[in-house]
Formats: sequence, structure tokens, C-alpha cells
Amino acid sequence: MLFAKKKKKIDGDKHYVSLANIVGETAILYKKEDLVSYDCDGFTIHKSMPKAVVFPKSTEEVAAAVKYCAENKIPFLARGAGTGLSGGAIPLNGEVIISLAKMKQLLSVDFENRQAVVQPGFVNLKLTNSIANKGYYYAPDPSSQYVCTIGGNVAENAGGAHCLKYGVTTNHILGLEVVLSNGEIIEISENGIPDAPGYDLLGLLTGSEGTLGIVTKITVRILKNPEGKQTVLAYFDKAEDGSHAVSDIISAGIVPAALEMMDKTAIEGVEAGTYPVGHPRDIEALLLIEVDGVAAGIDEQIEEILKVCKQRNVREVKVAESEEERGKWWANRKTGFGAMGAISPDYLVQDGVIPRSRLPKVLQNISEISKESGLRIANIFHAGDGNLHPLILFDSRIPGETEKAVKAGTACLKACADVGGSITGEHGVGIEKIEEMRFIFTDEELEAQTKIREVFNPENLLNKGKLFPTPSRCMDVKKVIKEAAAN
Amino acid sequence: MAVTEKELQAKPEPSCASTSLSNYLWDDHPDENKWADCVHCGMCLESCPTYLETGQEQHSPRGRVHLIKSVAEGKLEVNEQFMDPVFQCLDCRACTTACPADVDVGGLIEEARGQVRQAMPLTGWKGTVSNFFLKDLFPHQNRLNMLGGLLKFYQKSGLQNVARKTGAMKVMPEHLVQMEAIMPELKKPVQKRYKDVDVIPAKGEPKARVSMLTGCIMDVMFSDINQATINVLTHNNNEVVLPKNQTCCGALHVHAGDRETGKKLAKQNIEAFKDADKVVVNAAGCGCALKEYPELFRNDLEWKEKAEEFSKKVEDISKYLYDTGYEKPKSPINKKITYHDACHLAHGQGVRHEPRQLLKDIPGVEYVEQPNADTCCGSAGIYNITNPEMAGAVLERKMENVPDDVEMISMGNPGCMLQMAVGVQKYGRREEIVHTVQLLDWAYQEDEKNGIGKSSAQQTIATGKE
Repeated sequence: MLFAKKKKKIDGDKHYVSLANIVGETAILYKKEDLVSYDCDGFTIHKSMPKAVVFPKSTEEVAAAVKYCAENKIPFLARGAGTGLSGGAIPLNGEVIISLAKMKQLLSVDFENRQAVVQPGFVNLKLTNSIANKGYYYAPDPSSQYVCTIGGNVAENAGGAHCLKYGVTTNHILGLEVVLSNGEIIEISENGIPDAPGYDLLGLLTGSEGTLGIVTKITVRILKNPEGKQTVLAYFDKAEDGSHAVSDIISAGIVPAALEMMDKTAIEGVEAGTYPVGHPRDIEALLLIEVDGVAAGIDEQIEEILKVCKQRNVREVKVAESEEERGKWWANRKTGFGAMGAISPDYLVQDGVIPRSRLPKVLQNISEISKESGLRIANIFHAGDGNLHPLILFDSRIPGETEKAVKAGTACLKACADVGGSITGEHGVGIEKIEEMRFIFTDEELEAQTKIREVFNPENLLNKGKLFPTPSRCMDVKKVIKEAAAN
Repeated sequence: MAVTEKELQAKPEPSCASTSLSNYLWDDHPDENKWADCVHCGMCLESCPTYLETGQEQHSPRGRVHLIKSVAEGKLEVNEQFMDPVFQCLDCRACTTACPADVDVGGLIEEARGQVRQAMPLTGWKGTVSNFFLKDLFPHQNRLNMLGGLLKFYQKSGLQNVARKTGAMKVMPEHLVQMEAIMPELKKPVQKRYKDVDVIPAKGEPKARVSMLTGCIMDVMFSDINQATINVLTHNNNEVVLPKNQTCCGALHVHAGDRETGKKLAKQNIEAFKDADKVVVNAAGCGCALKEYPELFRNDLEWKEKAEEFSKKVEDISKYLYDTGYEKPKSPINKKITYHDACHLAHGQGVRHEPRQLLKDIPGVEYVEQPNADTCCGSAGIYNITNPEMAGAVLERKMENVPDDVEMISMGNPGCMLQMAVGVQKYGRREEIVHTVQLLDWAYQEDEKNGIGKSSAQQTIATGKE
């Protein structure tokens, strides 16, 4: 055929040939140039090459690949779209990456029982798009929902803007099919019936960051679209006023579907990106507030929100006049992280959680950390549930800046932990926050959790070096990052 | 030899530098500033046809950016394994639309292809075929016309029937047989027809004078669309000039990594359209290429300036009509029509609304939006010839999205028209493939037949901008 390429035979390592026999010759990558794209995920500070990437098309192929790795003591891990922000899919130990990108089917939808079954590589937003015409949607909406996979959402227990009212991924998972680290296939809550007796294994697996097993089929809850929906945009001259407005809205007894905040630097980023809204550049904070539910009560809630904003010296506040305007506001918000590329070559995003009432203080602390480090920090976050996302802007090409950014990130998490908060709300620990686990857990607590891992993953071949620090491991990772920064 | 990041940092390069960059050994290497915008967020993944097809990240926009950057960092070399993802890209620019930070992936890919072609020039018969098309054919209108004449003879003499009946076609590769089957009937090129005319007059009181790119293949294979464009322009009181010295836009050359020929053609066009106020284009791929001339000359300040001035004048026909006002036809075309966004119109030039509005303004047209209207059809210049397997897979996705009961698929790019025609034929469908201006032209012709004269229609001139 004109210009068509000839298929090449697998060469090199015998493991490549064996794995190719399991998944097929066209479903394995093992050459350096092809593997480079897999040396990191959405967390780019640390890079490490995998041994190979395989693309199974079925649960059986996943199980066979896992079994082969386990028997040959080859470390391995699962990867979806690779949009994770804590490095959960980075192959620290030359892993074989089991990519679930080819397992992307919507297997079934059961409107009567309000549930859907998907393969792990199915993209989050596609679920909502597939059932929207019947008036249904899938609630967890991480900002990367245009591309991230539901399998990855399960691994990270992903959150999103609308999780304030509807809960994070774990609240929407009804059943899982899992390939264990020895290749055995198990079903948890097979028919999607929640609250089965015995231990809550669904809860345990969801958010386990790929260290307990590889999810190959997921039963999720789907929801009926709310009857009504209104979105408000409020501009504040002072960040403090914006923060107080957040607390006031919740204290007034309103549970918004979403309550988002962006600060001045963040606004600079999103306005320089692909989806500018025309936000004023001289404000210190904006709030994006959405209420939904039974149509009858919505107007009153909006009135109340407008009142609170005015009491807190809002400069301008407006209600979306059309679905188009609402869509624009959300596109601007949801592409916020990526838009930082327009104002900075690199960023490191943190994911602290704090009690809402401490928002003004912690924002103040973050601003001090920014001054001390000499790095700009943009804040885009789920203010309603106190889930902060300080984005530390840096340029990895400038010697020492990566290290400074990592340090500033740690300081931000420390500030969160110090006010009784947590180091991660939805992005997971991965390798990024592994050392910071010590801010909130004692050695005994960490060891107790590691023992749970050992039940599922006794050889620690599956996603080794993630989530929990071992004394040597965490030092290693941080050391590597520091060395990379120094280079 | 590999250069460390530190060393790179130590020698900042002016934008017009003519040096190598680590493992990019040739001039005009990929631009560091372009990948500095990419934070590897992955928002591009689902927009990329080759990623959707393969699920492999080296065939995704962020993966390609990562690869291109890795060569600059000295981690990889320009070799065959690097070439594969870089040339597998359809150059559809859907990632540019999806990217939150506006990373110019398309530009990076083209620059990287330039390096690949210099590191590994095409040799043997591939080189011969590529050189024949890109260097010996497309830039030479007289040779194209001659080929057009031969093809016309092939169609008219009965040779086409003979070839099809005798099974002579069976020795050809499948995708070429498909292309042959949908070859449009060839008409006289407009450059020949208006050879002695300096300015084609407006039908009424002239309101503007525009110059038109007649294209290379366009004027041989699709001269009827060129004619329709002239008709629609003059109908709406534009005088039309067809500059004689214009040439192929060079898009295919730049896509193929032959940036030097691309620059040569660009210079010739910039000169040819020197006196034009407006350059109207009816082929999305060409229009996009003309608009991107400044990128081609980013290291040549003198020509960059000229290119910038030139590219501001370039406008797609649908946008030009929409912006300057066009007469809404009165006579109906009773057809159910859907619209396919050519990548280089939607993603490349941001023109989406205007052609749809043109269609909706034709009475009788029942407009149906197709899902994923702005995903690539797989044509991508000559991609369907160089990468037939991937092009075929992408086309299949596209055809699945075309609504079942439409009678016509309208679009604004000849490459897409050929590819979609292959799709219609291959999947046993019946839709007619048309260019948006053709529909408008037909409607105007109906008006004339029905005696709805220009003068009576004068008052109804719509300015698309409302």
C-alpha cells in the first residue's frame, strides 16, 4: 500500500513478547520514544520511565497481564487518562503500565434503578452526555471531566465543583469489578445494591489510589437533572470579603450545588486562557455560586445570596441570564488549571482542606508563603467545602525554582493541617504529598493503613511507592525531586 | 550530544537565531515558547482523533508536545520512532480549540516535521512520489492544468468506464480506488476562463473589490466551486480579481515538513496579492495556511512583517459574505442539509457560525446539526493518501455521526469534500457533498430563473452581523 507502514515484530526483552501474547502485538509499547509520553501524568515535577505500556481490551486481558507481572515480580500500575495531579500514575519503579484507555465502553444504563455500568476508561463527562437526553446526569464533576476517566475517578475518589451538595465519587459508586494484585477477578456489590453487609469494601477501594487492585467495571449512581438551576457571579474588591461571604452563605442555611472562588492571580490566568469571560482584573476575588433543586425555592435562595454578597461589600453581582452565559462561566472556571500555562511555564497545584471559617486566615498564610518563596500563587478552589487549590507558578528552567515550588507547596499544606484541616480533598496523595501524610497521621496510624494494603497487595508490586510513606521510600522520592530540581 | 537544561538556560537565544537546539540540528527548529505554555493537563486528549483511535498518548497532542520537547532536552533523537507520532498527527488543530492555554500544537508539529524531513529525507520511490507531487506538480499551474486535461480525457473518452469494467482498478491500492471512484467531473479552470479579464465586474453597483485565491488542485478538480464563488461574490456587488501570479498556498508542503518550498510559495503569494485589500478563499485548508504565513517566517523579520500584513487580508468566503452582507435568496432549495466543520475553518480560523447562517438563510433548507460536527473527517490534506489506515478509521467515526436522513452534507474545504464523498460511497450512503457557496449560487440562479431580479432584491441585503 502506498506509504503504508509494515508491522514490525516485537524485539528485545522476553517479557515484551509474553505481554504482547496477552494483549496483542499492536497493544504494547516498549520503545523509548513511545514510552516518554508515559513518564508522568498531570503532576510533572517528577518523571520516571515505565518498562512498557499495555492496552488490554477486556477484564480477562487485564487479569492475565497482572498475573504475568505478579508471577515474574514485575512492578505494575494502572493508568486512565493520566490527568491525576498527585503523580499516582507515574511509574517510579520501571513499572509495566496497564493503560485502561481502550476499555472505554458504556456497558449499560438502568434508568429505573438509576444506575449505569461503565468500563474504567470511560470518560466522566461522556456519561452525562450519554444520558442527558433522558434528563439524567452523573454528579461528580472534576474540572478535568472532559477527559478524565471514571476508573481514575474511583482510584482518586475524585471530587469536583458540584460535590459540595452531591458528595464526591465514593458517594456515587454502587459496585466494582476488581482485578486483584495476583490476577484474581472479584466483584464487590455485584448488582449495585448499596450497603451490603460486612465491611464497606467499596469505600475502601474508592480512593485507594490504585494500590489495592485495578478496577475493571464500575456501577455508578446516576441522578435526575434538578428541576431548576441558577448561577451567580460575584466580584469582590477584597479577598477577605469574598471569604466571609462564603461562610455567610452556608451559615444562612443554603447548600449551594457549587460555591467556587478565584483570586486575582487566578483571574489573570483564566482571562489569558482560551475561555475568557471578561472578569475585571483589579478585583481580589470572585465567587461562582450555583444553586439547584426544586424550582420553587431557587429564587429565594438567590435573593438570600445576593443579600449576603451585598452585606460583604460586593462590587458587582449578577445572575446568569442564559444557559450560554452559565456555560461560559463554567468553562472559564473548569479550564482554570490548564490556563495557568498562559501565564506560567509550570505550576504545582495543592489540594488542602480546611474548615470554612478559617478561610480568611489560611488565604492570608498562603499569601505570606508566596511572598517568602518569591513565587506567585494563584488560588482557584471549591470554597464551599473548604477545599483549597493553591497553584504555585514557577519555571522549571530556572535552577532552584522547582525546589522552591515544592517547598512552598508543603508550606501551604502545613498551613491547612495546622488549622485542623487535611492535605488532600480530591487529588490524592500519590507521590506528591506522601511526606505530608505525616502532618496528619502518626507513624502508628500510617503503619495500620499499610497493613491493610498488605492484605490486598502483599508483594507491593502494584503501584509501589504511592500514598503511604515508608521511612526510606518517602525520603527517596523527595530526594529525587530535589535532585531533579537541582539539575 | 545531549545538552542539559542548565546549559540551555545559560544561552538564551534571540527569536531570530539560526542555530540548532540540542538534538534539533537544523535551522527553523521547534519553538521553545510554544511548549512552555503546555502544563501537561491533558484537556486535549479527547479532542484528538488519533488518540481516540489508538488510546496511546504518544499519539495525543500533549504526548507529541512532550516528545518534541524531549528532543530539545536531548533525551530523544530525531529518528524513525520519533517520526511516527509526529507524522501520524492529522494537523486538524482540534487540540488548539480544546487547550485551556492556547498551546500552538499545530505549529510545533509542523516545525518538528521540518526537522524530521531534513534529518531523514524521503528516499526511494516514496521520495520520488512526494517530490513529484509537492515540488513538480502543485506549484506549477500549467502542469496541473495539463493533468486536469488528461483526467478530463480519461473521464470523457470512455477510458474511465473501460478501466472500471476491465478490473484495471483492482491492481490499485484500495484507498486510491475509492478516490478514483468519487473523482468529480472536471470543468474548465476559472484562471483559464477569465484569462483576459482583469476585473470580473459586480452585478450591481460595486461595493468592494476582492481578490480570490483560485488554488492549485481547486481550480483543476473543483473549478465549478471557484465559479460558484465568483458568482456569489459578484451577485453581492463585489468586483473580483484573480491575480495571475498566485500559486499553491504551500499548506501541503508545510504539513509534509518541506518548509523551504512552503516559504517560497508563500513569498510568491504575498507578492501576487500585494495590491489586494481582501483575499477571499473558498478552501479552508488554504485559507488557514495563508493566515499562518507569519509563523513560517518567524525567524525572518523582513518577510514576517510582510506576511503579517498579508494574513490580515485573508478571509474565508463564508465569513466575508457574513461580515459584508449578502442577499438572502428567495427561491427555495428544498433539502435536508447538515454541515461538516472543516478543521481548518473551525479550529484553524474560528469560523463556525457564519457558514451555518448562510445555509439557514436559504429558503426551504431544513438544517440539521450533526453531532461532533467539528471532528476531522480524515482528509487532512494528503493524509488520506499517506496514512490510509488511520484516515479510514477517522472517516468511519465521522460517517457514524452524519444523521441518517439528510440529503446533503455541506462544507467549506475541497479535501473534506473528496474524503466525505469516499465515506458516502464506502458506506453505501446517498448524501450529496456540496460546498456551502455552491448552494448559495444555486439558490441565486433559481432566483434569476424565476425572474427575481437583482434590483428588487436590493432592499433585502442582510448584514450577517445583527
